[in-house]
Amino acid sequence: MGSREEMLAMLRMMMMIRNFEETADKLTLRGKVSGGMHNSSGQEAVAVGVISALAPDDVIATTHRSHHHTLAKGFTAREVMAELMTKATGVAKGRGASMHLGDVSRGHFGGNGIVGAGMGIGMGAALGIKMAGDKKVAIGFVGDGGMNTGRTWEAINMAAIWKLPLIVVVDNNQYAVETFIDRVTAGGDLAKRASGFGLPASTIDGQNVLEVRDAVAQAREYALAGNGPTFLNALTYRYYGHNVGEKGQYRTLEEIEDWRSNRDPIDQFAARLFSEGHLDQATFDEMVASVDAEIKDAVEFAENSPHPDPSEVMLNVDSGKLRG
Amino acid sequence: MEEVFIPALGMAMEEAYLEKWIKQEGEAVNAGDVIALIETDKAQVEVVCESSGTVGKHRFQVGASVPVGETITVILAPGESE
Repeated sequence: MGSREEMLAMLRMMMMIRNFEETADKLTLRGKVSGGMHNSSGQEAVAVGVISALAPDDVIATTHRSHHHTLAKGFTAREVMAELMTKATGVAKGRGASMHLGDVSRGHFGGNGIVGAGMGIGMGAALGIKMAGDKKVAIGFVGDGGMNTGRTWEAINMAAIWKLPLIVVVDNNQYAVETFIDRVTAGGDLAKRASGFGLPASTIDGQNVLEVRDAVAQAREYALAGNGPTFLNALTYRYYGHNVGEKGQYRTLEEIEDWRSNRDPIDQFAARLFSEGHLDQATFDEMVASVDAEIKDAVEFAENSPHPDPSEVMLNVDSGKLRG
Repeated sequence: MEEVFIPALGMAMEEAYLEKWIKQEGEAVNAGDVIALIETDKAQVEVVCESSGTVGKHRFQVGASVPVGETITVILAPGESE
């Protein structure tokens, strides 16, 4: 399983992500987040499971729904919350908002608003890693909606034929905006589709953080040994709408309640740690309180941070060499 | 006490038109009840409460244009007052 400290850190990270998302959701409805946001509540085990199996130098590229990946990658609640409010202290210095969190120098090749594009960017990062001869891997996160775009399969084909150190992770919450996956996805299991490209492909329980971590650890070893990419389809569920403020009438409240009550990734992992004696009530209560304080501090930090200085509007738009 | 407010529902939404109060001041409500109808530039939207209790003072009249994020009323738990 790993050390007790590792387990508790994983649990705390999932709790922090949940608290962050629910807090940010409310702030968005109040009009304090520019450009809206996509809430990842329910999908914490995919992000934390994947990234806990990586080395700090490994690279991720993600999707429009990326707060959980970004926080798990080690970006602070302060800098992510500030970015949501497009403040100068944010991850992307207030230029990106919720959908464009990222910092290449810290191994995060960004979120983006193009369905399936994160995986292609991850493939490019994996090609770069191979060409540079580095000993690291790239994660390409993609959603179930992205699995029905052509570019994702072009990228998987290329990664497979060139044996790139890419791990494709489908953060599969089963709904592409309002469309249930089975209504639009031929052939059933996505892993079966991917295995046609001749790479290891499996479907895993995205609500089980340890199962996700172990699958990625194995894929990472496989890639570092020069064997090429792995495809992991992590089944999960989002508790909120596709975007904040969505009027969700495409699934039943019973379905959402079933996932929340019976398959919640945080509840399941906490229960396991309690039953195996790694966690006691006092420690758990302390974690709840410290997460709460961390998120409150992040909101305060973000609200009190300045917007970018208008005089810097041209910064990062071009090289600057052609301007006087 | 729950604040019932005008939610930001679109990327460019700045205010909403208060079309109708469904629940009156002092009326008992349950979590999930529709409190008011508002109109944005794209759609009519039901504003719903998350808690059960009693509706507080209507802070805006029908016909008002209310900025996003503004509280329009509160839901008071037993014993609470505004």
